Amino acid sequence: MEELREYAKELLEKKEVAAVIGYTQVSENRTKPIIITDPADASKLVFNEYCLNNLSVYLTKARINAMCRTKDKIMKLAICAKPCDVHSIVALIQENQVHRNDIVIISFNCHGAVKDFGYEFSGENLASKCITCETHKPLYFDKIFGEEKETPKASDAALARIEELESMTHEERFEYFNNEFDKCIKCYACRAVCPLCYCQRCITDKAIPRWIESSSHQRGNFSWNIVRAFHLSARCTGCGECDRACPMDIPLSLINRRMAMEAKKSFSYVSGRSLETPTLVGSFNEKDSDELFM
Amino acid sequence: MKIGVFICHCGENISRTVDCPRVARVCESYPGVEYAIDYKYMCSDPGQNMIRDAIREKGLDAIVVGSCSPHMHERTFRNAAVSAGINPFLVEIANLREHCSWVHDDVEAATQKAIELVRMAIEKVKRDKPLSKINVPVTKRVLVIGGGIAGIQAALDTANAGYEVVLVEKEPSIGGHMSQLSETFPTLDCSQCILTPRMVEVYQHPKIKLLTYSEVVKIEGFIGNFKATIKKKARHINEELCSGCGLCITKCPTKKKAYNSFEEDLAFRPAVYIPFPQAVPNIPVIDESVCMYYKNGKCGMCVKVCDRGAIDFDQKDTMLVADIGAIIVATGFKLYNIDKKAADSKYKGYGEYGYGKYRDVIDGLQFERIASASGPTAGEIKRPSDGKVPKKIVFIQCVGSRDDSKGISYCSKICCMYTAKHAMLYKHKVHDGEAYIFYMDIRAGGKMYEEFVRRAIEEDDVKYIRGRVSRIYEENGKYIVKGEDTIAGMPVEIDADLVVLATAMIPQENSAALARTIGIPYDKYGFFNEAHPKLRPVESTTAGVFLAGACQSPRDIPESVAMASAAACKATILLSSDTLEREPVVAKVNEDLCAGCFYCKKVCPFGAIEVKDVKDMNGIVYKEVAYINQGVCQGCGTCTATCLSKSIELAGFNNEEIFAEIAAL
Amino acid sequence: MDKEKWEPKIVAFVCNWCTYTGADLAGTSRMKYPANAKMIRVMCSGSIDPVFIIKAFERGADGVLVSGCHPNDCHYNAGNFHARRRWDFFHELLDFIGIEKERLQFSWISASEGKKFADVIAKVTKDIKTLGPFTAYKKMNSEFTAVFPEIQEVVKETIIKEKETV
Repeated sequence: MEELREYAKELLEKKEVAAVIGYTQVSENRTKPIIITDPADASKLVFNEYCLNNLSVYLTKARINAMCRTKDKIMKLAICAKPCDVHSIVALIQENQVHRNDIVIISFNCHGAVKDFGYEFSGENLASKCITCETHKPLYFDKIFGEEKETPKASDAALARIEELESMTHEERFEYFNNEFDKCIKCYACRAVCPLCYCQRCITDKAIPRWIESSSHQRGNFSWNIVRAFHLSARCTGCGECDRACPMDIPLSLINRRMAMEAKKSFSYVSGRSLETPTLVGSFNEKDSDELFM
Repeated sequence: MKIGVFICHCGENISRTVDCPRVARVCESYPGVEYAIDYKYMCSDPGQNMIRDAIREKGLDAIVVGSCSPHMHERTFRNAAVSAGINPFLVEIANLREHCSWVHDDVEAATQKAIELVRMAIEKVKRDKPLSKINVPVTKRVLVIGGGIAGIQAALDTANAGYEVVLVEKEPSIGGHMSQLSETFPTLDCSQCILTPRMVEVYQHPKIKLLTYSEVVKIEGFIGNFKATIKKKARHINEELCSGCGLCITKCPTKKKAYNSFEEDLAFRPAVYIPFPQAVPNIPVIDESVCMYYKNGKCGMCVKVCDRGAIDFDQKDTMLVADIGAIIVATGFKLYNIDKKAADSKYKGYGEYGYGKYRDVIDGLQFERIASASGPTAGEIKRPSDGKVPKKIVFIQCVGSRDDSKGISYCSKICCMYTAKHAMLYKHKVHDGEAYIFYMDIRAGGKMYEEFVRRAIEEDDVKYIRGRVSRIYEENGKYIVKGEDTIAGMPVEIDADLVVLATAMIPQENSAALARTIGIPYDKYGFFNEAHPKLRPVESTTAGVFLAGACQSPRDIPESVAMASAAACKATILLSSDTLEREPVVAKVNEDLCAGCFYCKKVCPFGAIEVKDVKDMNGIVYKEVAYINQGVCQGCGTCTATCLSKSIELAGFNNEEIFAEIAAL
Repeated sequence: MDKEKWEPKIVAFVCNWCTYTGADLAGTSRMKYPANAKMIRVMCSGSIDPVFIIKAFERGADGVLVSGCHPNDCHYNAGNFHARRRWDFFHELLDFIGIEKERLQFSWISASEGKKFADVIAKVTKDIKTLGPFTAYKKMNSEFTAVFPEIQEVVKETIIKEKETV
């Protein structure tokens, strides 16, 4: 922890970065994001199992980018990222939202994060994405801290739920999802928290012509949720922030996960894993399956 | 907005199943429609006048025509609208003939569908925006791919018209198959003698840039503005320094290491070689797969003997990029492979003829080399196995061609003529020899062609047997050819010394891959498709790309040359104007809303999308957005569907228009 | 809804160069196919946005067909390859959400495949007839139009029919 603080302090003192985006402890089992520009504040930084937020979402926020712009250049930004958050950063780099040279990735050896704040970290309180996580070491980083530890074991409830849903008939599934989507209050928290929802103007806000009916009615909710899921297909890195942000508990990341399974099954592609692999959207292979087409 | 609706009966073609007056009546009551009428022939002069008069009298802003397919008469109606003062893009066609009256029997259902189709068109036209044509400049340079006789002719004609030409040939020398031929039908003049002056002319022409041992690897852009990337393979000889003395070739210790492909594998060559003595350019190539230097780093004999220091073992492939206005594709043909290797290809092969097994069963091009004065036998007819002069030759026509069961159903067209020529050449050189030809039909359409075949039969006593050969096998140094004479109705058996197979002409290796690189369609065999079989025979469907010679279908020399000149003419017509008018159906980015993810750039098939920097007041780039080069955009709209924030619109097919069409259903 | 009399409403999004021209050929060859499908012409199958399909369902479509040029035959070289990936995900998504796979179908139809066009339209129409009306979506639609009548951009069939009788 001290090493992390020292490193952040040094970066800020030497003016190598404009700011450090990191986590700070608010109570025993809870952290919150913090943006540090004063080297003296570096002591507030922490890293532990309670660092749940995916901070990469801040990389594309206009106000944070404005902090980096000086009169004659663009300063770097340092970001604390768990190995899974690095996947989001990779996706952002691939989508030209962030340049690799403009950021300093401070990462950690990770053995999981909590599902809910306010409770002790354990197998029961383990974030869904950590259960199947395969990257306990970051794939890309500039500095790494922390020791390797064993991740607590837990059962993959999300996968079981997907399988359960797939065993239903289409009518049952339609009814289930329609009821889930019907809960949507169009607060767009899912969009605000998603690192890959960086569009200045979202498709749902486009009024002429109106792409998605934005009134909080079942039909508009249905199309919004389909389009949200489709736009994240083969792009979502599975950070699960949408689930955490949704006040109505709509199973958003469940759909994202199902789409990621399709990407893996049909195209052997996992989003955000490699800067060298072309993104699945925007590329093609002549040998892609033709099964769908008559 | 005042909309006029015009419903065409198309004689009875539409009105037989669609109640046209009713469609017009229903549409007239539709919001926004000022005027609606039906008429017997909308595309006729009176029909078009009716449209023009209505536009003027009723003050219409836009029109919908319910008629045949827009592919038929969209232009007609747009022109009519323009002459009455309406923008051509405020004209929509509802396809009531091909998509409605002709395909449905039930009058009620067809009429209902017609009403819906017109309604969709009305909703779209309400949202259409006036567009004006885009002018793009034309690069005055032609790329000719393939340096055979067709490519040579096309290059010369284009260059003589005053335009620059880049001629790309994949072999070390231009000349193509014609340079391999001994004599040509029906005049029996020497192929090399008429070809080599043309090859030299190409080499010396100030307007022609000749790139041999090179391949086109990428074509970007569009008519008038292509960008070609050409890979110049490493020759390992510095072309600037080499004088073509040939000392390296004579001194190379790998004398007979490699088959000489120009001699159709009937002779050998060393690692450093020129394909044939009259090669243009007369600069050797070092074959890395054979050269000792690349095997063990030793030798270097050529370096020692070359007093100009032209040998360059470290030479690498280089990429050249050229701006091009038009492309002429003249990649030619190759011969159907009839040996055992054909088993895994789409063609079946002719194992029963023993090609590849018996050295004296050869194909037409090999016979050309044997008959050629510059060939491996110096023009003496000798068989490959033992060098004896064959006293009896059997020629078999249609090997592969016209044989569905072997995978090719077309006629290769030239084999009847060259087989007659082969037999004649043989008889002229071996006076006591016997020549037999197995044929299916003799197809000798062409000036002096039939006379030529008659000459072979009547003057040179070539024996024509109508029928197929079932099997060839070796017996005591002879090849027993078992066939059938279908005219006499009896089996035939000939003990031949040499058998020559007139194998089918098929497209060059990788012709399909090249077609995809250039972006032109091809048929199931890999021959490139012309835009129209009768009226546009030398144009491909891709604007600005023309075809010449046997890459389009089997062709003989005069036809290839005629096509080449025609293609050159088409290309020069294109290049003669300074700008081209283009349809304004192109995509445009809303830069304020663009998130700069550049998925559009990744999917654009034409490389039309560029990165545009957005700077702050201090001149620092703080955002990158997509910018679409309107000259390069072809208007497919793939970017519009890919754009996540919906910041791109395709003019003429924008999303508002399509939503309106959906809503009108 | 009277199932006997019910005729499915099908929307076909087709590319200008292959499928639209193939449909022209079906017409020129006087092939017969059901009148349920209405075509919307776009330049390339690559330009069809999945939201178009949602819109079609919102406007009461019972089924949707998307059709373009065969792979390697695209007028724009690669538009259909990108479309193929896009549809793979969208189709999978709709299936997971509970929309039957037959509601949204795809085909490659070249300009010379008039017969195939007629067959595909017949097949899609038959599939949708077997599935029956898309009641789940229609229910949402009717509830929606009841709450927000002003958003309904479509001039209803009934209005046209009324005026027709005048």
